[in-house]
Formats: sequence, structure tokens, C-alpha cells
Amino acid sequence: MSAKNGIYGWAGQIARINLTTGEVTKEDTLPKYKPYIGGMGLGYKVIWDEVPLETDALAPESKVVFGIGPLTASGVPCSGRMNISFLSNWSKGNSIVDAHMGGHFAHAMKYAGYDAIILEGQSEKPVYIKIDDEKITLEDASHVWGTGTFNTNAVIAKECGDTFDVCSIGQAGENLVPMSTIITSVGNSGGAGVGAILGSKKVKALAARGTGAVKVARPIEVRELSNYMIKDLVGGNNNHNVPSVPQSWAEYSATSKNRWQGAPGVVWGKAPNGPVDQGEQPSGQINVAALRCNKGVFDFGKVAEKWTVKQGGCSSCPVRCYTEYEMDPLADYDLPTHVSNTCMPIISGKNIFPGESNVHDFVDEGDAGMILGGSMSRAVDDYGVWDNYGNVNSDFFRMYNDGILKEHFTEEEWNETPWQLMLDGDPRWAWEFYKRIAEAKGSWKMLGVGTYYLYKEWGLDDASKNSAGKNYYDEVSGKNTNVTYNGYPKHHSSEDAWQSGLLYNAMYNRDCMIHHCTNFVRSGSPYEEVIKPALAYWFGEGATDAPKAYTPINDAKIRVAKWSFLGKQWHDSATLCNWMYPMTLSTSKKRNYIGDLDLDAKYMSAVTGEEYTRESIDFDCERISHLLRAMTAISFKINLGSDNLRKDHDAIPAWVFDKEPDFKAFEKGTVKMDRDDMEKAFTMFYEAMGWDTETGIPTRETLEKFDLADVADKLAEYGLIK
Amino acid sequence: MSDKKRFLDKDYTRRQFLKLSGKSLVGVMMSSTMLATLGVTAQALADDKVRVWAFPQGLLVVDADRCVGCQRCEINCTLTNDGVCSSYISRVKVTRNLYSSRNGNGLYTENNWTYFPDTCRQCEDPACGNACPMQAIEAGIDGIRKVNQDKCVGCGACVAACPWHMPTVNPETKKSSKCVLCGECAVGCPSGALSIIPWDKVAAAAQEV
Repeated sequence: MSAKNGIYGWAGQIARINLTTGEVTKEDTLPKYKPYIGGMGLGYKVIWDEVPLETDALAPESKVVFGIGPLTASGVPCSGRMNISFLSNWSKGNSIVDAHMGGHFAHAMKYAGYDAIILEGQSEKPVYIKIDDEKITLEDASHVWGTGTFNTNAVIAKECGDTFDVCSIGQAGENLVPMSTIITSVGNSGGAGVGAILGSKKVKALAARGTGAVKVARPIEVRELSNYMIKDLVGGNNNHNVPSVPQSWAEYSATSKNRWQGAPGVVWGKAPNGPVDQGEQPSGQINVAALRCNKGVFDFGKVAEKWTVKQGGCSSCPVRCYTEYEMDPLADYDLPTHVSNTCMPIISGKNIFPGESNVHDFVDEGDAGMILGGSMSRAVDDYGVWDNYGNVNSDFFRMYNDGILKEHFTEEEWNETPWQLMLDGDPRWAWEFYKRIAEAKGSWKMLGVGTYYLYKEWGLDDASKNSAGKNYYDEVSGKNTNVTYNGYPKHHSSEDAWQSGLLYNAMYNRDCMIHHCTNFVRSGSPYEEVIKPALAYWFGEGATDAPKAYTPINDAKIRVAKWSFLGKQWHDSATLCNWMYPMTLSTSKKRNYIGDLDLDAKYMSAVTGEEYTRESIDFDCERISHLLRAMTAISFKINLGSDNLRKDHDAIPAWVFDKEPDFKAFEKGTVKMDRDDMEKAFTMFYEAMGWDTETGIPTRETLEKFDLADVADKLAEYGLIK
Repeated sequence: MSDKKRFLDKDYTRRQFLKLSGKSLVGVMMSSTMLATLGVTAQALADDKVRVWAFPQGLLVVDADRCVGCQRCEINCTLTNDGVCSSYISRVKVTRNLYSSRNGNGLYTENNWTYFPDTCRQCEDPACGNACPMQAIEAGIDGIRKVNQDKCVGCGACVAACPWHMPTVNPETKKSSKCVLCGECAVGCPSGALSIIPWDKVAAAAQEV
């Protein structure tokens, strides 16, 4: 438990809140959940034990587990994330999914003394959960119900007091829109439909503060390991390990555009007391580590500097990936100017302007994407809409251009929509767009149900069932990034990491959120000199392919895929940020730019006082992986009658194999994949995981090896294993 | 040079600095020109204004514009001095400024991007020490005032008396914790928002002028 309870690393305690009765109970984290580490693993174990997979995600019997782990708030860098587990009501099979939320809330919860908060039941009236150390109360939230997340977080933070952090759902969650989030800080979100699950329970927000401490077995060792990581290992965000432009100390600068954009002359132009120059950031120095990243400049180029105040991010993280803007041009449209986000909500501002829209610059040449992205990120987060890693926007874009949308909208709905804002490239369009998705009225509701049910309902999953004559999963189009037929897009897949990327993209019930490979692939390091030898060092010859020069599947690539798959479970259980970890590469020439994959185990040993190794951590993560897979198999059986995940869950859309028709797979110049080779890759991966190669379902032998005999029994009950 | 002599020299420099700045209890707003005179270069610090505090071992510089809210200062403070990881008992405090601070700053206010670490001022005439009924806050030979854990009864008088409420009574140990100037907050600050310029560097720069 926390220092109070004599356990190192874990807080030692879980709070269970029954929203039907208002009862709050506490239970020990250990030993029951130790084999599942925490976070994701803990959440999966709770759902497995307590929520029958037949359960409707929005029913009172459905549960939500806010989970963090032994490394959260232990002092370890980049340990500010939280994993939220629950049943999906939007992806194929309606199985287990996770939301992943950064910011500062995870630390507040841990300091308050909890490894997890389990929400069950359903409140009659809107409430927020106030966690004040040991004291947990349900507070009335009627005054913020119906309002956006920015207002909600501000009001609740103020009424609770200056050391409380808050996260809340927007109108989308309240209206049970499957594409919904929970939002904390300014733009840190957890997605996957968690907003609707909380909305069904009438939970508007959680507020937490903790005056406690996380007990650490070897605190000075944790500090020194952290300093070593910051000095010698971690680079810009996504651990891009060489600067984007030459710096006087650096042997290399990036061979392709990377995320270490800080450099002399790159400034935070709107800092209150004048521009802050990010300067040089040599490897080996701690005090410049946060100046390596500049996500704004990475996303939009030099135009971002002018409106940048500083760079924010999560608790404990020295790499700041949330550029914090004051975008004055938005004031001309009476829109909020304080904007911060990273990734999809801010980089895809143009993606809701299809067809003949006049997307234009605002003040400076090339600032259109940034200003529209700024508006989009505030709007999507305020309404608490989840963009499904961009699919909500790209589905809209495609349907508008194909005339599908107009076919399905009533005349009244069509005429009511202020299309002129869209056609004018007006940043207010984002607010109109997400407002309608959050309200979930009429045909607009379909834009918030998620890709799987949208395609199914409107016949977009079958070329013969829609007027465009397209299968939206298979279409070769820049806007189609569906990675399976399950309703979510790729999240750095084969375009970055050959067969390995595609394998782990297919394993989850949402976009995979794995960055293991994309981090070193896009690090900017020279391939032959740094990336190839480093990965060969870890995984053997043939572990990587050069960009657009792919080779057939081999054992080393399967090792890379398994490492990535297990590692993601580790990060969301520990919790550590998978955008930063693992430390595959290093900034240090002295290390030949080779990182330290044992670092996570060193942290675990120093924090908990027990000896962990990469192998022992992998073993626990393999257990979590089998649980994910087994739950997915049972959900697919229950909801779809499927006996075969290989066929019904892991199938890859045609565009992955059919794009770039002038090329054949494995020719230089393409990242297209080969069907037969990919089938072989799946077989090899299932073998490596100990899964049945025909069905992709874990075998009894495998499950029993990981103390999951009860899981094997349940699979047998459903006829899913022999 | 003996340790004692070095401390005396440093103290002399510090006194000269205080005389020069004309301030002791409150932060000194310094122009880059003045900082440059003291060897604090614009390269190392913000271009214009920063907040500086004269500490026994150097000039503590707090540059709010550079603070990125990572809370690593609090983490390193408590790992070093308490053997745990905590925000509340940290001797440097940024979390209370990060969300919805009493001063109207923080991520959930109109001033979203205004947050920064508060640090102990090591006051010449310390309100915390003066208020302590047990005289538990004592200055050592190095001039650094620390809480004598044997004397402290955790009454919180020091917390209430400090104009910035920098000491904290640890809810677990029931003892006050107060900055001991270990410097780990600045050592581990990844953005350079906190930095300590040693007095010998300040003195050397002053001699050059």
C-alpha cells in the first residue's frame, strides 16, 4: 500500500463505488491482482471475474475500472497515464476495451491511496465522485450536467479546492454516444466510448487529491535511474533520439522528419515575458530534456511558434508533447483561444472539410491546419466526442463526398446543418459538427455510433448495398485506414513496421495504441548505422526492414511483434507511457545509440524492492494478453456466434494488399503487404503466443501455464477450445 | 581554501547581491542586463525577466515561462528527502498552482498556461522559525534552516506563519517538512525552469565587471 500500509509501489487499496446504493467499499490490491500488475491487467481481471461478457455495456451490471499500477507516481518518468477498462458497445463483438488517459489525474488518485477505482451500478441523478484521500463521496453534479468538459472541470476544480484534479465527460457521454471520451487537464483524454459508459451511470466527473505518498523501496536508485534515462536515453517525444536539425554536439540529425523539433531559434513565441528559445539539447543533460520536443512545430511547422506559450504534458514526464497555444485568430470567431492537444484532435482539423470546402490560411501562410485543428481540438474535447483515432472524421469525409450522407439525412436535417461554415473553411464548423454528434439526434446519431455499426447500418461494408458501390473497409483511399473489419483504424501499422505492425494492430478491440516500432522507425536515426544494428542487437538479424524495402516474414519479426504486443500490456498496467517507452534507442553516441530495454525491470525492482526481469514482466504481460484474447473470443461467440478469431476478428482489409497497384509486395518503393505472407505471419504469431493456429484462440495448455485454468474452462464451456 | 572560508566568501557575495538588489524577503525581478552582470546569461535563462532568490549556496532562479508542469521537482524532492514519492509534502510546490490555484491560475482557469513552482525563500527573518513554539527550525553552519525532527511536534504553526505556506506537516510522520536546499529540484528540472547559479560563479562574474 502507500507509505501508510507498508507496501512498496502499489497503493495497496482499491475503492469500489456502487452508484445504485451510494456505498463505497475498499479492498486490498494484493495479492489477488499482483499477477496482473495493475492498470490494464487489473482492469481485465476485474471485468473477467465480475462482469459476464453477455452484459450490455450500458447496463447497471456493467463496470468501469480506472486502473493505475506500481510505477504510477513512483517517481519514474512518464508514469502519468491511466488505463480505464470496460465493455465496448461500438466495436465488432462488443468485447473488452480500454481508454488511456494522460494528464495528472493518475498521480492524484495514487497519492490519495488507490490502485483502482471500480464503478458499478447506476446513479439516479447526475453525480461526481470526490476522492479526498480516504474519504470518497458522491456529490451532486446537476449544476454541470449538460455542460462541456472545460466548464465542468473548471467548476468542480474550483469548488473542490486548489489541489484537486478533475476529469469529466461531455454532452456526448451524457447522451450515451458510443464515440465519447473523458477529458482532463486541457485536452488529455481517454476514449473508446468511456464517456457513454459513465453517462449511463450518471457519473459526470471524478475529482481527486491525495496528501499521501507512494512508498518506494530504493528511492535514491529510482531517482538516479530516472536521471540516467533523462540524460542518456530519452530524446524527443516518441523517443526520437536524434535532433531534427544539426546541433553542434550531435553526430546525426534526422534523416526524415521526426519529433525532436527543439533547436536554436525554435521559440515559444507567446511566452509571457518574451520568446523562449529552445536552444541546443545535448545528450547527457537533464535540464534541457523538456526542450527537445515541440509537437506544434512537428505538426504545423514554423507557424506554430507564434502562438505557442509553452509545452505541457503529463505528471512526471520530462518530454512535453502537448503544445500549449494561445491561438489569437480563433478570437475573431468568438472561439476559445487556449488550445492544447497532441495527435488526432489537433492534427486532423482539415478532415471535416470535405469536397469543395474552401480551406484557407488565416494570418500566416500555411496556418490553416493549425487554426482549424485548434478549433477542432477544443470542440471535440468540450463535447467529449471520441474521434476513434480519426475514423469519425474520415468516415464523415468519405460519406459526404460519396453522397451517402445526403441520402440518409432527411431534408430537414440537411437544411438545418450550417454547411456554409464548412464550405467557407470556417473554424466554427468544428463546433457545429461535434455538437450534432454529441446531441445524437436523427441521422447525426449515426456519426457517433462508430465505424462498425455505421457501416453495417448504412450498408457501407458491402459494395452491393450502397449507392457508391464501395466496401468502406476495403476501398483503396487515403482516407481509409481501417485495419480490421471491426470498426477502428490502424495506429501505426504495416506502413511503419511491416508484418509486425499489422499483427499487433489486429489484436485489440480498438486501435492498438502501440508505438514500440513506430518510435524507432521514425526516430530520424540513420537506418543502416543505428536502427538496424540496434534492433538486431535486441532481436536478431532480420528484425527490421528498411523503409519501403520489405522482406517476407521471419522469426525475428515475430519476436518484434510479440515484444510490442506484450509491451503494450506492460505499459498500460505499470503504468508507463507507450509513446515514450520502451527505451529501444538512446541519444548517446557512447552507447552506440542503443537504448536499455531492461530499464523497466530495473525500475520495478527499485520501486517494489522485489527483483523483476524483462522475462518476469513479459510473463505477467503474456497472462494479460491471453485474458484479452479469451475475453474477445467469448464475446465474439456470444454476440456473433463466431468460433474463430483468426477469421472473424483478425482479418485484414483488402486495401492493405491492393494499394499501389504498380508495385508488387516486397518490391522496393512500397509498403504494401502480401496476403499469403501475412497468413504465414499470423500462423507464426499464434504459435509464438501458444494459440491455436486455426482459430487464434489460446490453448488450454497455454492458459494453464499462466494459471488461467478457469479461463480455459470457460472457453471450453463455449466450445471455443478442444 | 577551508570550508569555513568558502562559506564566508559565499555569504559575502550573497550579502553584496542582496544589497545590490535591495530586496531580501520577496522575489527580485531582474532584467537580463542585471543578470548578465552577475554571470547569469540570457543563454541559460529566459530572455527578459525571471524571479531569483538569494540562497546560501547560490542564486535560485525560477523562470515561470519555462515551467512545463511535469512535477519532477516535487518528485525529486520527496524521493531525496522523504524516501517516498509525493506531491503534498514536497518542499517545492507546483501542483497547487497547476489546476485551479488560489491566485486564479492553472489549467482549469482562464490563465490555463500560468503555473510555476513555489520555492522556500530562506528568509533572513524567517516567519516559520519565529512562529515555531518548539524552536525546531534551526540554522546550521551553512546558514540553511532545517526542521529539527526531534523537536518538531507537527503543530503546523510554521505552515500558518509562512506567507507562502511553504512548510508542510507530513500527515504520516506528523513532522513538518521544509526546504533544506538540497537542490535536487533544480538538478532534475528538465526544462531549466528551476536552476541554481553557485555564488562562486556569481562572484567571478561580478569581479569581471
